[in-house]
Amino acid sequence: MVADALISMLSVLSDPYLMGLILITTVGGVVIGALPGLGATTGAALLLPFTLTMDPVPAIAVLTTIYVSATFAGAITAILINTPGTSAAAATCLDGFPLAQRGEAGRALGIAVVASTVGGIFSVIVLSIAAPLLARVAYEFRPPEYFALTVFGLSMLASISEGGAVKNLMGGLFGVWLATIGADASTGVERFMFGNYELYEGLNFIPVLVGLFAISELLVQSTTLKLAMEHIAMKAVQLPSMADYRKIWRTVLRSCGIGTFIGILPAEGATVASMIGYAEAKRWSRTPEEFGKGAVEGIAGAETANNAATGGAMVPTLVLGIPGSGTTAVILVGLMVHGLRPGPYLFTEQLDKVYAIFGTMFVANALFFVLGLFAAKLFARVTLVPRNILWPVVFAFSVLGSYALAQSMLDVYVALIFGVIGYLFRRFGFAVAPVAIGLILGEMVETNLQNSLKMFDGAWWEIGTQPLAALFLVLAVLGIMQPYIVGWFRRRKATVPECD
Amino acid sequence: MMQPDDVTGRAQAPGRLRWFDLGLPGTVFVFCAAVIHLSMTFEEVPEIIVGDSMQPRVFPIFLMVVMGLLNIALILQITRNPPKRLELEPKATWFSVVLMVAFYILAEHVDMMLALPAVIFCMCRLWGETRLWVAALTAVITTCAIFFSFDLVLEVRFPRGVLTNIYYG
Repeated sequence: MVADALISMLSVLSDPYLMGLILITTVGGVVIGALPGLGATTGAALLLPFTLTMDPVPAIAVLTTIYVSATFAGAITAILINTPGTSAAAATCLDGFPLAQRGEAGRALGIAVVASTVGGIFSVIVLSIAAPLLARVAYEFRPPEYFALTVFGLSMLASISEGGAVKNLMGGLFGVWLATIGADASTGVERFMFGNYELYEGLNFIPVLVGLFAISELLVQSTTLKLAMEHIAMKAVQLPSMADYRKIWRTVLRSCGIGTFIGILPAEGATVASMIGYAEAKRWSRTPEEFGKGAVEGIAGAETANNAATGGAMVPTLVLGIPGSGTTAVILVGLMVHGLRPGPYLFTEQLDKVYAIFGTMFVANALFFVLGLFAAKLFARVTLVPRNILWPVVFAFSVLGSYALAQSMLDVYVALIFGVIGYLFRRFGFAVAPVAIGLILGEMVETNLQNSLKMFDGAWWEIGTQPLAALFLVLAVLGIMQPYIVGWFRRRKATVPECD
Repeated sequence: MMQPDDVTGRAQAPGRLRWFDLGLPGTVFVFCAAVIHLSMTFEEVPEIIVGDSMQPRVFPIFLMVVMGLLNIALILQITRNPPKRLELEPKATWFSVVLMVAFYILAEHVDMMLALPAVIFCMCRLWGETRLWVAALTAVITTCAIFFSFDLVLEVRFPRGVLTNIYYG
């Protein structure tokens, strides 16, 4: 079993086509991550249509490589122009940019590269070990457990960093409602179709995701055309010195654990992980007063955690079919489009493909280490691409990518509408990732609720009598209450006077 | 003191509760009411088919009831902390939306491969590209690159129109 798994992982290295594809995609991912506004989620959504004619393993390799490399590359713009290329790199700005302003941009990027690689590889190792074990547990899940698990996944939207708890939950519910459009799975009754039979099987995921992530970002960018960015020149990326390693190794180890754990939680992702990684680095530091002024531990804490979250987020995605983040929601759609059914059965029916995906992530992490060290200066130049050229091109890819899946103009229409909806959501302080996650989980929630009701002869309260389902439902309540509980503790701590 | 907007970073004045701050929750209530109303029009499935499960209308209605409860929590938040005043979108945003609508109309009624370069060109200009040849080159190269990669590699057939009719024959 272990030998088979290792052979499947190593098969990635022996396949020149796959290696070439991973190399090209890593370069593409770093470019996408380095461009402000385009992140891992938007990049994966834009590239998903291009994977349609590929075999499943190369297709998923493209998406996971984009995820891993773009998450790292967000640090390039965070450090050099104080604008995070991805939201997960927002915490890196806090110390990366001040360090760059002191003329140490190369050192800051070197620390980001090493920390990201360690975090990424650690999380892939955890993924390779934890995912099959969790899959064995998930075999026992029946509809009540799956229903409770998806409710738990939705409840975790309350604590993702963007928006507020209430707004994120509303976004998630809106996404679940979107999943009800089309024929009801168990009875065939048409819902919210308005006579349009192209909607019979529901909304296609790809145009909705392209609209929510890419087109809405285009509209957000159109509001910031007059904002100027300060570019910092860099000579070369420097590997951290021994003194730097001594300073950051504890932070890196801690953030590996934090990032992977946060990544495993449904709906949480690299952004939350990097924020917590940064906060914990500051809390445990001997020199917390240096944070915000160019502390290397700050960069290491945030960058290790956000890359460690990538492997962690793949655990619920592959094992349970519940997206661990916005980008893994797109990868999940990629898996489904290519006929791979995420869930525990993936680990018995197509184990070789699962391990090839792990191998891909491992190779991608190693590759961006090399690219980050030797070509970061080159990648930094992509931040100079004028936005008045970049975003019209993104628009073209968005609409044609939406059209490509079903070759239907309705999908183009859907992408444009969801672009405007996504923009309005963001304008009024809602995040768009909960809508995408709600849309993907929507069918799972309803179908498992229907099947649970059939199991218990309509007695819905029986769901709560199943031990595992009850545990997930309790966790869901805690997930919803968590921002308020944490807020209450913080307020209480702030009001208690310190004793000498 | 002026504060930056979360999305755009543009400066804004701090807020005080005004009646139109409740426009957002109001819109959500109207949306919920519309969905519930539409759900009530779904055909009822005979008991023999639906069994111990639920009617197709139940789940959307349940979602909207929960959404309504969350909306009440949102109103409480808004009344406690009135949102910052949002500035009106700049010209580039409005016209970008107009260009999207124009793209759809042109693609549906004329040709997608004519609509695309036209919209890319206009968008480049709208977003501040002053050199005509750069905007035109971007429009033509992007369209050609995308068309041939989708047509030859991904085997996607685009809807027939003035230009694609000549290509497809």
